[in-house]
Amino acid sequence: MNAETIAFAALALVLVGSALMVVLSTNLFHAVLWLALALTGTAGIFLLLEAEFLAAVQLLLYAGGIITIVVFAIVVTERLVGESITQTNRRIVGGGLVALALVGIIANAIADSPLPTTRPPLTSDLTRAVGETVLTRYALPFELLALLMVAALLGAIYFARPDD
Amino acid sequence: MPAAFADMPAWLVAAIASFILLNGIALGVAYVTLLERKFAARMQSRIGPYRVGPHGLLQPIADAIKLMMKEDVVPTAADKPVYNLAPIVFLIPCMLIFATIPFAPGLGVADLNIGILFFLAVSSMEIVGLFMAGWGSNNKYALLSAMRAVNQIISYDLPFVFASLVPVLLAGSLRLGEIAAAQAGLWFIAYPVIGQLGFIFFILSTVAAENRAPFDILEAESELVAGFRVEYSGMKFALIQLGEYAHVVASSFLGALLFLGAWSGPGPEWLGAIWFLIKAMLVFLLVTWVRWSFVRIRVDQILALSWKALMPATLVLLLLTAVVVVWTGNGR
Repeated sequence: MNAETIAFAALALVLVGSALMVVLSTNLFHAVLWLALALTGTAGIFLLLEAEFLAAVQLLLYAGGIITIVVFAIVVTERLVGESITQTNRRIVGGGLVALALVGIIANAIADSPLPTTRPPLTSDLTRAVGETVLTRYALPFELLALLMVAALLGAIYFARPDD
Repeated sequence: MPAAFADMPAWLVAAIASFILLNGIALGVAYVTLLERKFAARMQSRIGPYRVGPHGLLQPIADAIKLMMKEDVVPTAADKPVYNLAPIVFLIPCMLIFATIPFAPGLGVADLNIGILFFLAVSSMEIVGLFMAGWGSNNKYALLSAMRAVNQIISYDLPFVFASLVPVLLAGSLRLGEIAAAQAGLWFIAYPVIGQLGFIFFILSTVAAENRAPFDILEAESELVAGFRVEYSGMKFALIQLGEYAHVVASSFLGALLFLGAWSGPGPEWLGAIWFLIKAMLVFLLVTWVRWSFVRIRVDQILALSWKALMPATLVLLLLTAVVVVWTGNGR
């Protein structure tokens, strides 16, 4: 067992544990905090894979941005309505079955195509590679994504607008 | 790396470097508070702390001891785990952002190849701790303050990022060490038009992102008592204050590194770290000067300033910088 394996095991434990707590904790606010931990753990996995750029973006967008917005939504809705919103689901058995089935499918797919055990070394600067491919080869999907976001934003503004 | 460290294992060097840095920050922050109090006092024709030690120089030590001795009061209705963890969660990102700052050529804990991005990403994590404090206290003032903080941070994170990206474009690297080295000939603040505008936007969004007056609506003593930290006392309060000041100091170092040429200055090479420190303190005093000169503005004014003025302006500036960089053939 080398240091990387140990680090991966620890991160996996944090990730799975916090992900379980996201769905199992009864307090909505605690669930969001566990989600923040899970997203930070994902950034840790990216770091292990030497994808520093992705790790930083993960922190900046998900752990920083998305969590902030989710928390904001909770506070605005929960405190104004005056009753706490529960987020647990009584159909835990069915949910567990679906999750197990998904794990089975993924495990099956991994077993069918054995992954190379050693990671191929990076040939170039990953940050540069990401930047170049996004602006050349994947420019169209990138722009389409931006368009999708604008559409979502416009939709949100439409619904949030006071009726008059 | 000096020769004495060469035969030590890498983890030990990293541990020693982090230990020195963390203690340096704690001590530095303590004295930065004294600097701010003296500066503010002079601006208001007062003397400031003067009693403890010569010229009040021991005041931060006395304050630290006082804070450690204080009783730790936990509200009964508080969400205990969240309340207790919040100061720590708040402090960690504020300390972590120092890791990538190279204080002199090659003298930093980790000069990552995504340096500036690491700084921006980790410093945006601060909001999680802030919100935990606001929510966990179970106090309406604290919660209101945390909500305002979210509003403000969503609004000012982007201008802060855009303004910080201007030097990145000019230097052609995300690595903080290379950005600093690229300014050996010409500091980026002296770059015609772009540099000055970038610096002004950077200072503006720093003041806002650090929640200092005139953008301190989340502290707002007159309406929210002390904002999200109103229920904290003793060492937990001290940790939050430490984190907040550490963040300001780190941003000052970043400003000095991005626009003021970091360690470049006259004199021998070993003076570089001192020059860097002086420049960072100048940026800090600039931020403090703004803080003590303006009155607090309203929430809607703060949001309007960000979304209607600062955001488009920084975006246009970024585009302009990209055009200039390609035009002058500095693009790599």
